[in-house]
Amino acid sequence: MERLLALWIEELSVEQADGSSLRSLVAVLDALVSICPFVEPIRLGFITMPIRGPSRFFGGDDAVMDAVAAAVRDVTGYEVSLGVAEGLFCAELAARQRTVVPAGGTRLFRHVQPLAVLGHKELTTTARRLGLVTVGEFAELAPARVAERFSRTVQVLHRVARGELYELPAQRDKQLLARLRTARGEDVRAEEQMGFFGQRSASDDRAQAAAHRLRHRLGVDGVLVADVRGGRSPDDRAALVPWGAPRAAARDEAPWPGQLGSPAPTTSFRYPVRVEVLDGDNQPVRLGVRGAMTGTPSVLVLERGVRRRITWCAGPWLFIEQWWAAPRRRAHAQVILETGEAMLVTTEGGQWWLTGMYD
Amino acid sequence: MSDVTGSEYSSEHMFAFSDKRPALSDDIRAAIRPVTLAKTKTLPVAEPWRSLLPDGGLRRGATVGVQSPPGWGGVSVALSLLSEASAKGHWAAVVGVDDPGVVAIADLGLDLRRVLFVPRPRGAWAESAADLVDGVDLLIVRPPSRPAHAAARNLMDRVRERGTVLIALTEPVAPWPLPVEVSLDVTHTEWVASSRLESRSLTVRVGGRGAAGRGAERVLVVPDRRGRAVAS
Repeated sequence: MERLLALWIEELSVEQADGSSLRSLVAVLDALVSICPFVEPIRLGFITMPIRGPSRFFGGDDAVMDAVAAAVRDVTGYEVSLGVAEGLFCAELAARQRTVVPAGGTRLFRHVQPLAVLGHKELTTTARRLGLVTVGEFAELAPARVAERFSRTVQVLHRVARGELYELPAQRDKQLLARLRTARGEDVRAEEQMGFFGQRSASDDRAQAAAHRLRHRLGVDGVLVADVRGGRSPDDRAALVPWGAPRAAARDEAPWPGQLGSPAPTTSFRYPVRVEVLDGDNQPVRLGVRGAMTGTPSVLVLERGVRRRITWCAGPWLFIEQWWAAPRRRAHAQVILETGEAMLVTTEGGQWWLTGMYD
Repeated sequence: MSDVTGSEYSSEHMFAFSDKRPALSDDIRAAIRPVTLAKTKTLPVAEPWRSLLPDGGLRRGATVGVQSPPGWGGVSVALSLLSEASAKGHWAAVVGVDDPGVVAIADLGLDLRRVLFVPRPRGAWAESAADLVDGVDLLIVRPPSRPAHAAARNLMDRVRERGTVLIALTEPVAPWPLPVEVSLDVTHTEWVASSRLESRSLTVRVGGRGAAGRGAERVLVVPDRRGRAVAS
């Protein structure tokens, strides 16, 4: 089996509502083609390429990996996890463990992995009761024994464990290639923005033509269109996507509990600005464990040390989001400054951010 | 003479409004625009503005100057001027408003399907605006710094020629360098707040060349509790 260089980019593995991870993946693929023409996207955030040819050209596996890591860093700014092994299944494991498995060493590498890497929870627990902990121990079971005890899915996993199959059934995203084509604009249907009832008028055509010209002038992120979705805070509810990019499919009109009501901020910072919120004694205001603030906010310190007195403050509205995964404990507060401006500030992990302005 | 009744002069060819007009190519359809009569030369505005603006609407080809200190509601005022026309199906574009709050814009009544945003044109704001003048009916421009005289002149000329409405959003420290048809200056702002921000009343001074009540000050509520612009 061919040795594969696998790239795992954690930050791109999560689908973003504005499609940015898909576009970044396109950019990474375009950059990697100059290193190896046989680059293959597998899933969001996961790419492979054969390493034998590039390795000869660049003078060794390490040289190829340096070039690849530099290319990814240039394009996305993210660090990539690299790994080399034979077959897709082992290549992904190697990338996640940042390991280079030497030629011929893949069988050993696979056999020492814990059984959980096969991604089948029921199998993992059942096999542990049978005293099987690693992939290798599971592989040594006779196929007939596995067949009489486990489901068809597990039989497939067993063949992967034995090295008869090289990839897990769920490893590839089967829609990815079609979606990448759409993201590259090769699927022209995505470009059209429809008017009422899907009809296009002459004014729609003129606007399309102007947006086209402007995109040439300013680049893909130059012209944006908006989309309102469900969500709690204004930055979750609104998405600005590049004009012509495929829209996020989900449109949620249902009322969200705890949604910050209207009026919403007219400026919703894409990159929130670090600020400090101080109380009357010039002590930083923090969010206590019970969701109350430790003091009354009275001074907002903006960039470059600009201090503004807070004349009115409301909140905090506490949001503990996605407690089932990575919990984010955030709280929003609205403030009015002595200058008459109203702002939305957010605290997370002891740091305050300016997230919106009511201009 | 008897030829007139001949077969090639059927009624089909005599009337311009017969169905069989030549199909226009896409490029031509994008370049031309329909004939506009005097009546359709103003774009509609929502209620609080109807009594304030000279023609009861936004006259095509005109420039409206909105001037407000930062954070005093200039963005809301400019956007609320567009809401009615946008809801009626006109295309709009917003140049130079960084990170627009989409929810607030939707609340003001704009139809987001027909709004193009150019958040950070950097040095190319005038060129970007000029590109958009050909494509949209309403254009908000917020120059990143004090706009140059020539750039403003070119843009206003182009707007007049194409029949677009330009809304120039500026701050008092960097005003629009040319006289405009209607100017709306925010002179006072006050929030009404209880347990959260509720609404904001703005005092707007109306001025400009063709303004009806020149120098008059009006109080508007932008945004109200539902995020819209209403008369107070």
